[in-house]
Amino acid sequence: MQSLETPSTKTVPGVVSPILFEVIRNALSEATEEMSACLQRTAYSTNVKTRLDYSAAFVDANGRMVSQAFCQPAHLVTVGRIVPRAVAEYGPENLRPGDVLLVNDPHRQASHLNDIFLISPFYYNGELLGYVSNICHHVDVGGGAPASIGAFREIYQEGIILPVVKLVVEGEIVADILKLVLANVRAKKEVTGDLRAQISANEMGIRRLTQLLDRYGNETVKFYIEKLVEYSERRVLAELAKLPRGSFQGEDQLDDDGITSTPVHLKVRVTLDGKNITFDFAGTDSQRPAPMNCNLTQTFTACVYVLKCLIDQDIPLTEGFYRPIHVLAPEGSAVNATHPTAIVGGWEVSHRICELLFKTLSQALPERVPAGSKGMMCHVGFGGKDPNSGDYYCFLETLAGGYGGRVDSDGPDAVQTHIQNTQNAPVEETELNYPVRIPRYSLVPDSDGPGRSRGGLGLCREYVFVNHQPVVTLLADRAKFPPLGLFGGEPGKLARYSLISDGSHRQIPSKGSLQVSPGETLRVETCGGGGYGNVWERDAELVLRDVREGKVSAERARDCYGVAIDTENWTIEPVESELLRRQLEKEKGKQ
Amino acid sequence: MSLRFRLGVDVGGTFTDAVLISEETGEINIAKVPSTPRDPSIGFLAAVNQILSKANTQAPNISYLVHGTTVATNALIEGKSPKTAFITTEGFRDLLEIGRQIRPSLYDIHFEKLKPLVPRDLCFEVPERLDATGKVLRELDESRMAEIAQKLEKQNIRSVAICFLHSYVNPSHEERAEQILRKHAPNAVLSVSSGICPEFREYFRASTTVVNACVKPVVANYLEGIETQLKKQETKAELLIMQSNGGVLTFEQAADRPVYMVESGPAAGVIAANFIAGNLGFTDVVSFDMGGTTAKAGLILDGRPKITKEYEVGAEARPGAGQSRGSGYPIRTPVIDLVEIGAGGGSIAWVDPGEVLRVGPQSAGADPGPICYRGGGKQPTITDANLVLGRINPRYFLGGEIDLDLDGATEGIRTRCAEPLGLDTIAAANGIVEIANTAMVNALRLTTVRRGYDPRALVMVAFGGAGPLHANRLCAEMQIPKLIVPLSPGTASALGLLTTDVKHEFSRTRIMRGDRADSATINKIFSSMEEGGGKLLRKEGIPAERISFLREIEMRYKGQSSELAVICESGALNTESLARLCAQFHEEYERAYGRGYPAEIVELVNYRVTAVGAIPSPPVRKISHSGLTAGQAKKGERPVYFHESDGFTKTSVYDRYKLEAGHHITGPAVVEEMDSNTLIHPHFQADVDGFGNLLISPVPST
Repeated sequence: MQSLETPSTKTVPGVVSPILFEVIRNALSEATEEMSACLQRTAYSTNVKTRLDYSAAFVDANGRMVSQAFCQPAHLVTVGRIVPRAVAEYGPENLRPGDVLLVNDPHRQASHLNDIFLISPFYYNGELLGYVSNICHHVDVGGGAPASIGAFREIYQEGIILPVVKLVVEGEIVADILKLVLANVRAKKEVTGDLRAQISANEMGIRRLTQLLDRYGNETVKFYIEKLVEYSERRVLAELAKLPRGSFQGEDQLDDDGITSTPVHLKVRVTLDGKNITFDFAGTDSQRPAPMNCNLTQTFTACVYVLKCLIDQDIPLTEGFYRPIHVLAPEGSAVNATHPTAIVGGWEVSHRICELLFKTLSQALPERVPAGSKGMMCHVGFGGKDPNSGDYYCFLETLAGGYGGRVDSDGPDAVQTHIQNTQNAPVEETELNYPVRIPRYSLVPDSDGPGRSRGGLGLCREYVFVNHQPVVTLLADRAKFPPLGLFGGEPGKLARYSLISDGSHRQIPSKGSLQVSPGETLRVETCGGGGYGNVWERDAELVLRDVREGKVSAERARDCYGVAIDTENWTIEPVESELLRRQLEKEKGKQ
Repeated sequence: MSLRFRLGVDVGGTFTDAVLISEETGEINIAKVPSTPRDPSIGFLAAVNQILSKANTQAPNISYLVHGTTVATNALIEGKSPKTAFITTEGFRDLLEIGRQIRPSLYDIHFEKLKPLVPRDLCFEVPERLDATGKVLRELDESRMAEIAQKLEKQNIRSVAICFLHSYVNPSHEERAEQILRKHAPNAVLSVSSGICPEFREYFRASTTVVNACVKPVVANYLEGIETQLKKQETKAELLIMQSNGGVLTFEQAADRPVYMVESGPAAGVIAANFIAGNLGFTDVVSFDMGGTTAKAGLILDGRPKITKEYEVGAEARPGAGQSRGSGYPIRTPVIDLVEIGAGGGSIAWVDPGEVLRVGPQSAGADPGPICYRGGGKQPTITDANLVLGRINPRYFLGGEIDLDLDGATEGIRTRCAEPLGLDTIAAANGIVEIANTAMVNALRLTTVRRGYDPRALVMVAFGGAGPLHANRLCAEMQIPKLIVPLSPGTASALGLLTTDVKHEFSRTRIMRGDRADSATINKIFSSMEEGGGKLLRKEGIPAERISFLREIEMRYKGQSSELAVICESGALNTESLARLCAQFHEEYERAYGRGYPAEIVELVNYRVTAVGAIPSPPVRKISHSGLTAGQAKKGERPVYFHESDGFTKTSVYDRYKLEAGHHITGPAVVEEMDSNTLIHPHFQADVDGFGNLLISPVPST
């Protein structure tokens, strides 16, 4: 059918048509959405298909972010930061249509090694118009433990480092590069399959962008890309102008660095002046030869995420969104780590930065932020030789926990928080594919942080390994410092990591690898969220509901919430409760 | 002998539509009454009575009645379901609470997780455990099971869902638990996961079972009520319900497995599109249904609507990576695959804080409605824009029932869209339509191109009140070469109720490598499902010669965790047929995702059987022929804005009811009828066929 010549294609140079703007914006976003759909459908690994640990983006020739499709907020800025750098290093003049670059090096401002980026140049009519790129968390990239997570000191222990190299040359995979990569990873099948899916996704993005260019031509599309970037910036500025002004300080800490038991201190000063938002991390601990460091990309991610949550969510994430955001992170600190330190715990640190920022900004925007939440990725990885097939297998998952209480609602139970939104792997599927059994997957009652709005409950997951002794790695936190309460709310319960054998429980560290025997049960209990507001102001009916549902015990209701409940008839004892709550107010109100 | 009729009744949110077709002449009658949400059976019976009197006939003359209803979905969304309990394996009481452990929106701090349909105090766990092969690791604790049953009886729980781990491979523990419940809690209705949806992935199976359990008492009650009322009128008709997969099933089956009918309404539209296109010999079709609040696109290939199993009841329509997952209750029963977007006639146009024109997702709905409806609406909508552009006749809306407010619509667009952007009103109105069309084109892409189907090989059937107004433009954009607009596009959906077959779906999970698959086991799986399906259909009175089975195997590359369905031949399978299936899978995979990997190992995962009881289609009445010319069907001319002409163009207006077979219209033109307007763009033409359809295609270039 013939194509209709529309007046919107008859553009006047230099004049923005608000209609064509919206049409082109939709098409650009559709191109990355389609890349993302393609990646999910063609990928091999559970990590991509079920957990959705991937994202896709289009960056213009000047390295500016234009359009992205996310599944994980953790990928908010990563592509925008790695693409310009990778391209500059390789030399754009060395890229031809059909080429694909491969990179995962955190010390080149990618994220951790598991996150592999593929970057393809996009040419139209012989002009380089930009790059399509996608990021995908690979279940294993080699290194010191299955799933490539663990308590390492140097990047070299964490897996294969992929500098900027060509994986595909003019449409043909470079077999030697692929061979070299695969020789270094445990999960060869998954990595091969996911890399192929990543290549297809970039091809898809190029096809869709080509159609857009067919229609509107180079100059028009470039013009509207410029306008799109300006549009985001304009809207972020309008939002910043509405936020209170001032400078706010905060601190937080991670339990330990994974090698020593010394906590990692994070410090920030957030300044809002109506036009900019500045995050200054001066005073944060120096980086250590340990996994709990993040690079600037991961720090920037946390800052962008928190701002995105606090303002109108409708604003598209382009380069213009980032412009008013300034991050000052001392080089060589735990939030801007330099070569050759380990960085595999970088997302744990980044996740905690979100907590730190919400807490700090509670001074400016008390009703918009949640109380302390899970605030960690909480990785559980294991692998070894499958006793049934004889093949080497690798498994990774991340567990949810409690969300913090909000100004007028409880924190949801057992949910992913902040920069993370990965889905769980079904127990039946896991047991079918791996030599493991999961005897328990449940909420942890009484893990809530009490408050007017209580924190959400953490969850418990147990693992028993069948007929073999895999290496199991935890990369988590919150065993020492719980999610904090806000405005009188109390902290959630700590996370606990333990090995159970013959009925005896042994606590194990939140970070590190160990071999587990078939007779042992690994139990991970994640933390509960912090409470928001004074506990004695909580609606007693909600306490009754929680007790009735077994989420909070009657004892805890009495001791921590000051609500006495008759568990025979499921009623509240009003007189006794009134006394208990007065008492609580007297004791705690003074603190 | 008196005339025999087929009756279709579709209960929607606003209206209840009834369609009556004469089995002898194919003559169609239509009735529309307001829906009665508090007790939908009142509206149902009102529609039935109205249409019977319109056709001058009585209930006993109805041979066959099909009902489309959202009663199941509404019961869930409105929380009207009675107290339901959930019983599962020890260690998994919180299966429903934890769900997928995700939040439905990434940046909303005030999000809520989906509220479990069963509160935690009614979730029980029983000691028992199987491994992934179905081997018993721990026997079912029968005394604990009996205790729970007694407790439920005491608490007067009327509906119970049972889902044990790995029951999809070995249902024995679930079956035993069911027996114990029947004994100790005889008043409860039961939903057992291995019976409802025997597929792996526990949360999804449990959720499907729980949805079934929650709506079962409500649906059973509702259907029983209707049946009683109809019996009072001495109906002897077969009473059937539209399922989400586009097939029908008996009231009795629907009452037992209501989770199969949650998307009963939208499915009918796709079936109607299939029927309309099928009558003209087209089997590869895009259906496009645009109403007041949303637009829905579906795909039909080889005369079969595409089906999905990834469905969430009550989910928000928010397309996009990582969006809206977890906002509804997942079910794993087959549902006609529709891409739905928030762009309907009532979608609101607005200027965002960045000074860009936007359309939707907010809708003015039916109340207050578009500005031009004079119902108090203040915000301009797509319908207002179409009116301003001259595409809708203000004096002939719903056949002249409502006198549309053109000035109000113009004023609304001028003050709320045009002035803030420095545009003139017409440019803004055109922008509203253009932007809405862009969103609909994206939905159509999602339906076709993204799944590997070339739109140039498809035809579109457009219906719904607003569908025919936008469809020509969309076909041009998508390069779909032919557009069919049926008569009465506003009630086309209800027709779908009367043009489908009885269908029952069965599925099993058994994972095997394609190159080492045991054909004997697969044959056994298929024949047991087909035996069950055949038995059910015969019980429903379908004679053997009208029974057929459709087999599918969901396959994947080993190591993947999502599957693709491949149609499987009937009869006993052997090594060669399995090899053919694997080859077919590589092809399908390549088609869907752009690249296949023939060197990789293929796995067979789920086996599905659709047992089909064919119902002969009703006759289709040809439109009458009086020898009028197309010129005589022309009502007049008016200026209509077309973006491709960059202005208003003198456009012929035709009366749909005067158009006859063989008439030919050249665009630009508007064809008006009671419940819709069809827009034919410049450079396009329309031919009227013997059924009264408008067939729109580009004017061949000379």
